[in-house]
Amino acid sequence: MRTSRTLGMVMIAPAAIMIFLFYLMPVVLTAIFAMTNMSTATGISGGAWQVTASAVNRLKTTLPELANGIAEPRFVIDEDGLKELEALKLKPGFATELRAQHIGGVYPSRREAERDIKALKDRPNTREVKQISDIFNRSVLNTRFESRDALMTSLDKLGFKLTPEQQQIVSDATYTGWVWTSENFSTIANSPDMLQILINTGIYVAVTLTLFNVTYALFLAVTTHYMPSNTASVFRAIWLLPRITPVVIYILLWKWMTWDNGFISLFLAQFGVPPKNYLLDSAYNAWFFVILINGFIGASMGMLVFSSAIKAIPQTQFHASEVDGASRWQQIRYIILPQLRWPILFVTCYQTLSLLASFQEIHLSTRGGPGKSTEVWSLAAFHTALNNYTGNLEYGLGAAMALVLVVVGLVLSLIYLRVFRYDTLISKPLIED
Amino acid sequence: MRILLDKFSKSFGTTSVIEDMNLEVGSGEMLALLGPSGCGKSTTLFAICGIHRPTAGRILFGDRDVTNLPSQERNVGVVFQSYALYPHMTVEENIGFPLTVRRVAASDIKKQVAGIAALVHIDNLLDRKPSQLSGGQQQRVALARALIRRPDVLLLDEPLANLDAKLRLEMRSEIRRLQKETGITAILVTHDQVEAMSMCDRIAIMKSGEIVQVATPSQMYQDPRTAFVAGFLGNPPISFLKGKAAHGAFVSTDGKLQMTLPALSGIADGTALTLGIRPEHFGTAGNVPVEGKVTFAETQGRENLYDVVLPDGSVIRSIQPVRDDVTLGDQVRWGIDSKSAFVFAEDGTRL
Repeated sequence: MRTSRTLGMVMIAPAAIMIFLFYLMPVVLTAIFAMTNMSTATGISGGAWQVTASAVNRLKTTLPELANGIAEPRFVIDEDGLKELEALKLKPGFATELRAQHIGGVYPSRREAERDIKALKDRPNTREVKQISDIFNRSVLNTRFESRDALMTSLDKLGFKLTPEQQQIVSDATYTGWVWTSENFSTIANSPDMLQILINTGIYVAVTLTLFNVTYALFLAVTTHYMPSNTASVFRAIWLLPRITPVVIYILLWKWMTWDNGFISLFLAQFGVPPKNYLLDSAYNAWFFVILINGFIGASMGMLVFSSAIKAIPQTQFHASEVDGASRWQQIRYIILPQLRWPILFVTCYQTLSLLASFQEIHLSTRGGPGKSTEVWSLAAFHTALNNYTGNLEYGLGAAMALVLVVVGLVLSLIYLRVFRYDTLISKPLIED
Repeated sequence: MRILLDKFSKSFGTTSVIEDMNLEVGSGEMLALLGPSGCGKSTTLFAICGIHRPTAGRILFGDRDVTNLPSQERNVGVVFQSYALYPHMTVEENIGFPLTVRRVAASDIKKQVAGIAALVHIDNLLDRKPSQLSGGQQQRVALARALIRRPDVLLLDEPLANLDAKLRLEMRSEIRRLQKETGITAILVTHDQVEAMSMCDRIAIMKSGEIVQVATPSQMYQDPRTAFVAGFLGNPPISFLKGKAAHGAFVSTDGKLQMTLPALSGIADGTALTLGIRPEHFGTAGNVPVEGKVTFAETQGRENLYDVVLPDGSVIRSIQPVRDDVTLGDQVRWGIDSKSAFVFAEDGTRL
């Protein structure tokens, strides 16, 4: 038996279970939710069948006659109504005569029903006519049915004879719960808002990643590499602050700096510049700060990864390259950078995904504003599904947006692996099983 | 090109490694810096190539003072102990690197690399990465990289330490051949006396940051200035006997061995002395007989090696042509060649 392989499985099992529960399951659930139209309106459990005004509107295109009929009140002389009438203890003749003469009678309007009631031999007065006709009102408008059959039975009693296909149409139109649908994706594909958010996200990720998370991090790592170790430690520690400061406090510091009575405004006031909120006064400024806020956090991570990778290059290679005549710049270009390919791939990949997925910094600083100018995909998904100004939380649509994010992340990772030629970076395991 | 170290000193923080060292290496000469580990020989080498800056003193290449020049401007080729090949470059790129950083045209680089690769016999490996090479091949690549830009000075930092015995032998003559062919001034740092003696024109032997003696290998072998030098050179190593001076002769501690030596004529009686006897000068042909017991016998094919314990417990090594009449535990009476014996004072200086 290949014991090492079995042992490997045993050792990886806890991690595998965690990955399944906390990474795979959320993705699967997101995919499931994405295929529904769940929202605050539909709820997440089952629904009921209700002929609302909007349901009638929906029916008007396919079944106009039925829609008009359903919207009107309907009066039916049935046994249930007669029993109720008897219980009212009005003149017993009313019920007797209605049962004898009109049982099963269906009136499309109150006027017609009341004409027959007025004609009863016991002559009900106007108030009684109203009372009696109300009892026989069998309108389905705004009535809630707990099951589809109840709705259909009721419609049948009212004289709407429906084919099974028509029944299905009515059922779909009146159902208030969530249903399976792929509409979320067509909504995403066709909405100009979504396109704008996608463009925002692309710019945000690309600019932050290239300027800060990789380039600036590389710059920090290389410059601190050439510094005396104590100085380098101080610089690295300073650049770690944005990452180790709790994010709420970190953002608050930025707000203090950019508010209309914040540091920038106070400073510029010395030169007669009127104060303003630099964070939110224009889309350009909002983007400027959003990218700085995220970039400062991202740069430290890249700096640490790149610094340790540079440290791992044997000192003699630097000595050798100096002796070979390489300048500092040539050392960076020919010795350091080529050996940082794997860390750069890792940081690019990791930071793309974390920039795509994380929205807390934007949510805390600009909330996607001003307007929706700094709204990025993950923030939009959060707003759609979980935190919405209008109050109708569209879980299904939000889940669909999140799923798009997962797919984009996966595709990007695969592209990175190809671009950086991952297969050449990994070596075969030294231990054979 | 001549290399001159003039009162060169180097310290790291408060630790002084080398103080006031003077050394001259003639143009086209190959010199070995020989010494035990930690004696400062690599520090000296790194100072010559500019990786370390001297704390005091001057370093001259020819008549040019390079003391404060960075390595990039010194035109030295260095072969590091670990070879320091760039793992992400092919052999061709590695060898061509010194030219690449000088912006030599790619076609020129290719031509020169091909030439130098042929010289060190690795022209069939140019497309490989260093990790795909054996130790000896990596060594040759490092050598080619050091030589390609025709350096004024070639520095070799224990270049053979990582090779197996056979390859070491081969590369020894290879490096010497290249050095002679190119006529380059070279310094070899090593702790292996065989390497130093077989490859170099002269040897500078170092001990705790100081040069003890500079001489040609044979001079140094035959005329060591101190007991340290005598003990460092020679394989199997020299044997030392403790004793005293008495009437112009060396007398061993128990008085059984007496040897009149011209070097002792002016020495006061009772001075503590050490007698150094090389293994080849103790055997059947010697003129001063010594009696002892064989405690170690080994044949090396052509020669036999014996350890003889004297009655006072000291050991003398002997190397003799193969014979099979002496075995372990035998009592022998062999002679020391008194003309070739060295006598040292208590502080190690030769008398």
